[in-house]
Amino acid sequence: MKDNDLTGLLDGMAQEFLFRDSKDLDIPTAGKLLNHLEKIIEEAQKKKISPIKNCAGSLINVLEKIILNAVKDKEKAAKLFESGIYLMQEIADSYKNTGKYKGNIKKFLEKTDAVIGDAISENAVSESNVPENNAATKTGAPGEIPEKKISSKAEEPIQIQDESLTRDFIAEGLEYIEEIEVNILNLENEPENKDFINAIFRPFHSIKGVASFLNLEKIRGLAHNLESLLDKARNGEIAVTPSLIDVVLDGADALKALIGQLRDILEGKKGESVDLDIPSLELRIHKIEQGFDTELGAKKIGQILVDDGFISEGTLEQTLKLTELSPDKKLGQSLIEEGIVKPKQVAQALRKQVDQVNDLTTVRVDTIKLDDLIDMVGELVITQSMIQQDLKNQLNADKGLTRNIAQFFRITSSLQRVSTSMRMIPIKQTFQRMSRLVRDLAKNAGKNISVELVGEDTEIDRNMVDEIYNPLVHMVRNSVDHGLETSEERAKSGKPEKGMITLKAYHRGGNIVIEIADDGRGLDKEKILNKAIKSGTVQNPETITDLEIYKLIFLPGLSTAEKVTDVSGRGVGMDVVKRAVEKLRGKIEIESNLGCGTTFITRFPLTLAIIDGMIVKVGTESYILPTISIRQALRPVRENYNNVVGRGEMINAMGQLMPLIKLYELFNIEPEYKDPWDAIVVVVDSESGSRCLMVDKIIGKAEVVVKSLGEGLKNVKGIAGGAILGNGRIGLIIDTEGLFDLSEE
Amino acid sequence: MVEKNIKILVVDDFATMRKVVRNLLKQVGYEDIVEAEDGVMALRALKSQKIDFVISDWNMPNMSGLELLKAVRADADLAKTPFLMVTAEALQDNVVAAVKAGVSDYIVKPFTAEVLNEKIMKITESINK
Repeated sequence: MKDNDLTGLLDGMAQEFLFRDSKDLDIPTAGKLLNHLEKIIEEAQKKKISPIKNCAGSLINVLEKIILNAVKDKEKAAKLFESGIYLMQEIADSYKNTGKYKGNIKKFLEKTDAVIGDAISENAVSESNVPENNAATKTGAPGEIPEKKISSKAEEPIQIQDESLTRDFIAEGLEYIEEIEVNILNLENEPENKDFINAIFRPFHSIKGVASFLNLEKIRGLAHNLESLLDKARNGEIAVTPSLIDVVLDGADALKALIGQLRDILEGKKGESVDLDIPSLELRIHKIEQGFDTELGAKKIGQILVDDGFISEGTLEQTLKLTELSPDKKLGQSLIEEGIVKPKQVAQALRKQVDQVNDLTTVRVDTIKLDDLIDMVGELVITQSMIQQDLKNQLNADKGLTRNIAQFFRITSSLQRVSTSMRMIPIKQTFQRMSRLVRDLAKNAGKNISVELVGEDTEIDRNMVDEIYNPLVHMVRNSVDHGLETSEERAKSGKPEKGMITLKAYHRGGNIVIEIADDGRGLDKEKILNKAIKSGTVQNPETITDLEIYKLIFLPGLSTAEKVTDVSGRGVGMDVVKRAVEKLRGKIEIESNLGCGTTFITRFPLTLAIIDGMIVKVGTESYILPTISIRQALRPVRENYNNVVGRGEMINAMGQLMPLIKLYELFNIEPEYKDPWDAIVVVVDSESGSRCLMVDKIIGKAEVVVKSLGEGLKNVKGIAGGAILGNGRIGLIIDTEGLFDLSEE
Repeated sequence: MVEKNIKILVVDDFATMRKVVRNLLKQVGYEDIVEAEDGVMALRALKSQKIDFVISDWNMPNMSGLELLKAVRADADLAKTPFLMVTAEALQDNVVAAVKAGVSDYIVKPFTAEVLNEKIMKITESINK
């Protein structure tokens, strides 16, 4: 038997140990010994000499404890180590000579175990010395929230130790937090990307490190908790869920506030005392860390039961503790035995859990591919309608062809429906961002506001999501700033102190409706009307309806009027909101009750890819007018036509004089009719009033797929895009706003 | 008595942290200090000037402290350079990995100037023996 390698290794190690520099083991020596021991284990394994393997293994454990400074009596440990080396040499010799070892290593292993055991209990005692250690985090049983990890120490006055360092820390720390915010948005899009987790992990880690030097206990503790949460996400122990992202964002905000507070102290400013509930934030972090995810992903059974209202959080935690004592028992089982829930409820929850897992059977597709697909399906639909027209006359003759074509059409339209639905995403994310915004704004405004979300699962085209965000933000901001009163005011008028903003989404008639409601002071009709009369916007106030009064706040002149907005509390920039909504082919309405609150109701098309339009003809050209802006179409009589000096050609329609826009003049084409009383005029609305568009004839209504005109023609005024029509020809889609501007040039 | 005129390289991606270490070093008499913001920059510094001592953070972008340590130990010219690893907490796995890779010692944040000085002295003394 060849044991030379093993003997050689053992001799090498013995020398290393005996000729070490210092009496107790220093780190470099320990490192060398560790590497030696690993090789010995490898070699022993090859030769199947398990006593050596076991000895070496326990020596590694001892060494690791020595390295971690977790051994009480280092000299004793070193002696034990020495005896271990001799023991292994003895075993090796015995194997070399007789092929076996008769002695017993049990006694030695007991000794090493004692040293290691000591080290562990020692660790538990000296926790204050080493802030966190592996043993503690690893033994934390799931379901249990270790109290000691939450740094909810009593409020200590912050003491600045080193001013210049603290200044650096503030500047660099804030920079890092900004970096976190950017990266977390990336992570939200690609939750599996470890690089993004790392990019968020590291800044927290750095902040924690410096904060520990500067004795900023709150900052250190929070950063530490966030860091260890992310560490688990990085190791794949927990999933990156929306609630994880939320809590990290909230954590970043809290850190930012804490650092801001620090800056205030440094600058001698009293500063508003930051009202931060760090302990509850840290509690949330720990809950997520242990898989109590309240959002997406497969929820634990207990959480489902809590959500469904069958048990309370408290009961859940208690029962979880019980189940830890008897590990072979499932939570549901214990709950039933305790008589807390019925078996049927547990079964229901289990089914839900399975459903959630099934939810995960999804495929990620690049949005560009998706857009291409939808685009092509759009073309297919158009081609289909071309074929339909071509075949119209022949179809009657051939019964079989008729049937097949009909089938083909049905498939095409379901294909279109399915492909469009693929790009639909729930509005949840937008709503969550919004409620975050409310939280921030409320804090700034010193108001107490809660947010209620209704219909978060309502779907909308993902391309629309970004577009509607800004107008919605503006309305929410209005509600927080102006709509809702302060707690004192609310208390005075007998309302609950906490204001409420409700965000609600639902589908209605091919549109998505989003309502933003507050239970604030409501619009003051009188004041708006008075102001409007003063400014001349309203001439006959007797006949005006409530709805029309509310609409006044969308007028630019009124909205910026300082007094009305401040007193009535509405209208800051509402004209801008209205324009933005209309640009998306949406509509906005207001409902309000003085003293009870205001609701903004916005309607948006589900997608911008398809437009509902009226096809009109001028000469040989076809144009598409968005249906949403059309009020009426009529053939005027000669008496309704006026040429007003200074205002140009006007048509009297619907009892109003409206400017006439002759499309043929604007686009320079040869029309069929040049006089309005021969042609047709379409009354088109815009925020700057209504106009009459003169066209030759109306072809009909159609849903068309909007096509961009390409880079070169993108910015042509008055044209929003192109579409291929049923006859295969191209029609230009009219952008009414732009067209009106063009007509005035 | 250990010479205090050694050139120390402080590696950390967080500038404030480098300053913290620099200040602590100055408190105990070390004046000749250079800085690097990650492992890559640190290696560049090590190769372009004579550095007597490295104090490196564990967690850094581009090249971590452990990777830097391994690179230093693998380079014949630099292999003997004392290397002190700074970690946020004494996580057994991390520390053992560093020790196996040949770290001279490790130090857990936060530390005082005295502890830092002790570690540096101990390391340099054992080398000068």
